[in-house]
Amino acid sequence: MRFTDLLKLPLVALWQQKVRTLLTTLGVVFGSFVLAASLSIGQGVQDTIERMSHRSDFLRKIRVGPAWGDSKTEEKAEQIEIKGEMQEDKRDRIRKATLQSKQRFATDRMRIKLTREKLQELAALPHVESVVPVIWQYGTALIDGQAQAVDIGSGRPVDVDCQRRLVAGRLFESSSETAALVSEFLLYRLGLTDDDAVKSVVGRTLRLEFRPQHHEPGFSLSLRKSDDTDVTREELAVLDKIRAQLPTAVTKLDLNPADLQTLQKAIHGVARPTSGPFHADFKIVGVLRLRNEEEQKEPWDPLRVETEVVLPFETATDLYFRVPGQNKQGIGQAIVIVDDEQNAKEVFKKIAETGLSTDALLEYIERERLMYLMIFGGMTCVAAVALLVAALGIANTMLMSVLERTREIGIMKAVGAGNGHLQFIFLAEGALIGISGGVCGLLLAWGASFPGDAWVRTIVTRDLKIDLEGSIFAFPPWLIFVVVSFAVLVTTLAAVFPARRAARIDPVRALRHE
Amino acid sequence: MLNSLSKPSNGLSYAVRAVELTKSYGTPAAPVAALRGVTFEVQRGERVALLGKSGSGKSTVLNLLGGLDRPTSGSLNVAGNDLAHLSGKHLARFRSTTVGMIFQSFNLIPSRTAFENVELPMIFSGYAPRQRQIEAQSALEAVGLGNRMRHRPAQLSGGENQRVAVARSLVNRPEIILADEPTGNLDSATAREVMDLILNHVQTHGATLILVTHDEELASTYTNRVIRMKDGQIQTEPF
Repeated sequence: MRFTDLLKLPLVALWQQKVRTLLTTLGVVFGSFVLAASLSIGQGVQDTIERMSHRSDFLRKIRVGPAWGDSKTEEKAEQIEIKGEMQEDKRDRIRKATLQSKQRFATDRMRIKLTREKLQELAALPHVESVVPVIWQYGTALIDGQAQAVDIGSGRPVDVDCQRRLVAGRLFESSSETAALVSEFLLYRLGLTDDDAVKSVVGRTLRLEFRPQHHEPGFSLSLRKSDDTDVTREELAVLDKIRAQLPTAVTKLDLNPADLQTLQKAIHGVARPTSGPFHADFKIVGVLRLRNEEEQKEPWDPLRVETEVVLPFETATDLYFRVPGQNKQGIGQAIVIVDDEQNAKEVFKKIAETGLSTDALLEYIERERLMYLMIFGGMTCVAAVALLVAALGIANTMLMSVLERTREIGIMKAVGAGNGHLQFIFLAEGALIGISGGVCGLLLAWGASFPGDAWVRTIVTRDLKIDLEGSIFAFPPWLIFVVVSFAVLVTTLAAVFPARRAARIDPVRALRHE
Repeated sequence: MLNSLSKPSNGLSYAVRAVELTKSYGTPAAPVAALRGVTFEVQRGERVALLGKSGSGKSTVLNLLGGLDRPTSGSLNVAGNDLAHLSGKHLARFRSTTVGMIFQSFNLIPSRTAFENVELPMIFSGYAPRQRQIEAQSALEAVGLGNRMRHRPAQLSGGENQRVAVARSLVNRPEIILADEPTGNLDSATAREVMDLILNHVQTHGATLILVTHDEELASTYTNRVIRMKDGQIQTEPF
């Protein structure tokens, strides 16, 4: 028998039962649609995450910070004495609360600090390309005697974001240059309002001034009127003077002896400022404009410069540790840049072992991936079950069809159809339902992916301010193959039993069948 | 009886040789015997009638000869094929090419047109569409239905349906025509027409005809030998 004829017979049989064929195929269409859609969105989301994370070197960066905890006051709860007659469980609760409140007011809660040595240790780890300290300091900026309070940050010599925002001058030549970039807003606040004045500022000297930092507990007493201006440099200088004189001057205040004794007891032993403000000079090499709205929407980057004064990161680190009182504290955070994404996990593990706090986008992405994998894996299972249910429907319908066509099958056998032919005809009916249902379901999913993608895109842009690159639905060749072949496989398997029944029909009985 | 069988046979002179054929239905524990040792021979080109009342086993014999069923015991050779031992695949091939069967109830597939019904045996024997077209058309023309090829069985009369069935049985030019009460559902005039068609073909092509009937007159008119059957056995010595 010719193959084309062998295919024509099941096609004709399906055509004769149009409504039944349509209904059984619809089951497969919907099953395949859900299967294709869930596989497609699963793959698409993974691809999108991959694409988005490769947009920059996100995955090579590990944020490292000091580890917070109860360092010096590692007192054990059992050692704290709780006075009074009380039940043991209450004593236990009070003891724990006492320990917690002691720790809360401990002066030195950083367990592992990001000191110079620690930074060097990080840089020496294998696969670490560089360690970029992220410095943030509060100080006063002076140009020609004019002063303004500013945030001072650190930056890298090569920085696309700064390059884009550079309106005058240049970027740093090296990470240890004694140079500074200033923002146009700082210049405006310093009175350099005209465009010409902004340009002429390049090459001039910027002085940065810091008051010595003390990290002891103390009284905070605020008398300053509350308006929306920053504390000025002059005000700060006066405050420092008061602070220096206060321990001796308290006796001059109108206080009764008991109050005086209380006050003296509280301030006894507090270090007095020994020196005046610390300052350093930098050459202004460039001016940065403020970020526009679009730039503000860009994904967060720990290395992005957000301050009004930017120093090269080595210069900034050096300055940070030179400011009295700060050298012991260590810096707030550093970014470890790994040589290759493949090694990021390993380096991340190594840093975490040192006890420092670590944070990497990689971690989030892995977690996200796992989550999506689970969601879409679940959806795929549901889709597969839907297809199996459709297959049961097919098996049932085809069994009925075999019964209805008993006489026809008998006639076909009488005129020369072999068991193999009949088996093939019914299996082919199943396969044809599978292939048409699978292809239609796939096309449906493909068609639905356009509005689906547009919808998700709108939500993501609106809520997350991220412009997605490419579709969140993916239809790689393997997906097309898997969906269609799974549909065909399931429907053909569903036809196996009916096909065997058809082949086993006894022609003599079948011809007597009415 | 066996002696008489062995004498003229050379493997080519007979179309059918059945020896001690039995056929039982039902369970092995409680068998119902349909044939109880039937032995006969039909020569090539012979026209034989199997005559008997209903339940005599004549249709069972025909089904065995047509390869629709296998004997329980005994040997059966039809046109050189040992039907008791033929594989399923070869038996299917035998049905489509060696024998042509005509049934009382026509047994046409209702969803297929007259042409498509006639074409069916050729599909299973692997003919190309073009050849099928020519052969099926000429077979239908030969039975006088050249102008009704696209009609479905429901659109045709009983006589026309049986003529389609005759065309179908002849289209592969089988050596043996097996007709099971072919006129049972037809009026006498139509019956004669149909039988004339069969006879004409048998004579033209030198085919063998085995006609199952309970009609003595039909048997004597269209065949040259009668084998009478009763209770699954042959009554009259056929040789």
